[in-house]
Amino acid sequence: MNQNGNEGNKGNKGKRDFLYFPSTWFFIATLALFFATLAIVWSESHQPWREWIARYNSQNAVTPVPIEIRALVPTQTGKPELCVTCHVGIEDISASHPAETFGCVVCHGGQPRALDQDRAHATMRGGRNPSALEVAAQSCGQANCHGGYADPDAERNHVDRVLKSVQATYAGGIAHVRFSFGAQKSPTALFGNRAVSDATQVLSPQLRALEMFPANPVSGTLDAKMIACLNGGCHLWTTPAKPQAYQYRGSGCAACHYVYADDGLYRGKDATIARDQPGHGVAHQLTTAIPFSQCNHCHNRGNYDLRTMQFDRRDDLPPVARPLSAQMPPEGRRLIEYYQPIGEFTKCEVELNCVDCHTAQEAMGDGHIYGSKKDAQYVQCQTCHGTPASKPQTAIIKDANELAMRQARINGHAEFIKVGDQVIATARGELLWSIKQIAPNKFVQIDKVSGKIYNVPLAQGSQCTQDGKTQTSDYCHECHKVVR
Amino acid sequence: MKFWRKEKSILYALHPEKIPASGARLTYTFGLGGIAVLASLVTLLTGVALTFYYVPTPTDAHASIILIQDVVSFGAVMRGLHYWGAQVMVVAVTLHLARVVFTGGYRPPREFNWLIGVALLVITLVWDFTGYVLRWDDGAYWAFLVGTNLLREIPAYGETIYRAIVGDAQIGANALLRFYGWHIFGLTAAGVFGIVYHLWRLRKDGGISRPVLDENETREFISRDELFFREFITSALISAALVFLTLIFPAPIGTAANLDAGVSDVRAPWIFLWVQNLLRVIPPLWAGIIAPMFVLALIIALPFLDRRGPGRAIWFARERWKPQAILVVIAIVLSALSVLEVWR
Repeated sequence: MNQNGNEGNKGNKGKRDFLYFPSTWFFIATLALFFATLAIVWSESHQPWREWIARYNSQNAVTPVPIEIRALVPTQTGKPELCVTCHVGIEDISASHPAETFGCVVCHGGQPRALDQDRAHATMRGGRNPSALEVAAQSCGQANCHGGYADPDAERNHVDRVLKSVQATYAGGIAHVRFSFGAQKSPTALFGNRAVSDATQVLSPQLRALEMFPANPVSGTLDAKMIACLNGGCHLWTTPAKPQAYQYRGSGCAACHYVYADDGLYRGKDATIARDQPGHGVAHQLTTAIPFSQCNHCHNRGNYDLRTMQFDRRDDLPPVARPLSAQMPPEGRRLIEYYQPIGEFTKCEVELNCVDCHTAQEAMGDGHIYGSKKDAQYVQCQTCHGTPASKPQTAIIKDANELAMRQARINGHAEFIKVGDQVIATARGELLWSIKQIAPNKFVQIDKVSGKIYNVPLAQGSQCTQDGKTQTSDYCHECHKVVR
Repeated sequence: MKFWRKEKSILYALHPEKIPASGARLTYTFGLGGIAVLASLVTLLTGVALTFYYVPTPTDAHASIILIQDVVSFGAVMRGLHYWGAQVMVVAVTLHLARVVFTGGYRPPREFNWLIGVALLVITLVWDFTGYVLRWDDGAYWAFLVGTNLLREIPAYGETIYRAIVGDAQIGANALLRFYGWHIFGLTAAGVFGIVYHLWRLRKDGGISRPVLDENETREFISRDELFFREFITSALISAALVFLTLIFPAPIGTAANLDAGVSDVRAPWIFLWVQNLLRVIPPLWAGIIAPMFVLALIIALPFLDRRGPGRAIWFARERWKPQAILVVIAIVLSALSVLEVWR
């Protein structure tokens, strides 16, 4: 019983003063505070963006850049973007899209002020690929860029055109397989990968519209097998499901314009892109100088077996060893890498690149819907070589800003033509800037990829007996057959 | 010259000379009231720091948070402590309320302080909700829209109340600024005043509730130094815990609110998940206004359902089963509704 009665201090507890009598608890609490402070300081100096810059410095033989936050203020938007803090050293996407002007966000979307990977990337358009067809209309094809112009035939409406092109709709493939198996009465195209329609159709053969190929057909049916095949990566809406060497590519615009190495490895300077993981473009770059190897990522990697409804990958390709600097392999090697059952080539196919003849309108569509590749192609022997009776059609470049001049500039060979030059014009009146007339009977062509100059012989005055009126595009194969 | 004279320190002066040991036992209070005060102080101080960086406009609000999170030095820690401080505050306040119910701490003369406490609970929840809205990310924006639209459901005066609180005919820049004002001025003023009043009233009511003594028992006390010491230990440990919570689980922020896109992801803050659940099944007036008001009224009424037998300051005293049972039922129902909402 306490002497002071019912209320009073007890024992020595009341005498303790925490500042003068440290206890175990005092020690633990102080230690906890100390470590918490340490943890704050540590986390502040170990943000991931610091690590990326450090990796950039160690991976690239460059003068080390300071480890600091970098803001790019593109002149187009005037809004700072911090993307280049981590993506330091990333290549300009192309000479026509310098980062100083466009920045990253205008194409990629995302959160430009964030430095945290997930936060920064959460709202990116199309993930890694803003040119994926699902989003291309908001990125490449946004207003005042490569699409969205009121006039559907406007030359810059690339994205709108691509959506209707056979490379995107795959209308011919779908129609012919279904026709072969009796699922439709004629090979006329009814379906595309997506529904498309064409209000203006002026050219023949015309298709007014394609329905969307059923995305979820009854399982086990032909259509179900076909959709599995389609989603496996044989058109611009998809990429190959499990790409192997020689098959790496993006989807949408990037499928052609974003060049992948055969081994699918990145060789640029951005340290955030893994250099040992296949599935990245050679560099963060778009080009119109598309090498044949890029086309081969789809067009020469095997064949479809109609009986089994399967894609048979070719297994005779040499291991990937081509050094990147030699994007143009020796002609003999091209023959090995090229693969079609017909095995027939014209000499130009061995020497030139696909894009030297397959024009933008052929590859990307002309805005109209076609039921097959055959219908969409229009470049023929006579386009460049003329007929035995006449020289090829030509036109004069009148203006430094007209399409042909721009195409040459973007391709990187602006010096090849100038205003006043006479260049090849297709039957549609489209100017082929890479073939010009240098003398009354002399035409030369520049290889859009290698820049080599070739002489273009004329049919007139040669042994050629073809009739221009009955020619089709595959007649190109008829001269200079090279059999593998 | 001596800088530190504890008897002249203001923190020291704010403490009573001695307090009964039974009221200060860890297993009696679990320090919950104190933890709530600490959490509110952490939230307040970091909140003041955040006002220097936050921009309360629809175009910049979300971007400024990203900036705080990723660019401003120690910004992520600042915001993380603010977020976790607020969460701990909500939890501590709720558990503190439960402790008071289960030990009968609301007994006279402390029944008025119970009402102040309930008011502080409401302030804490609204504080939390307004803070959530300021994120201006996708989830918060739609919760804001839904939450404010609930006001319109109030019969007769709905529109008036809506226009008073939102300050506009619909939510937008004005509403964001209004909520910013409420968050950092209105609720802070009310909250700080409430906390001070609650503590002052605690002192006036004779300190923390304690059992009635038998004739032959002695009341034991702990000194001011001991109290101060315990507060320091608790504060240091909780602060360290807040820091580690912040560093391990950074404060969440979604993608910027997109007013053009359709309603994508309405996500109420976790404290109102049960309301969100109810909104799916019963009319908005009942789910969003009447149900919360009913729960609040029940909580306010708890002390007055007490049969006033013995058992003061004793955990789970049988004589006081009614308020305890009601609180348990409320807790189970609200938790179940919240969990179901998360699972759907």
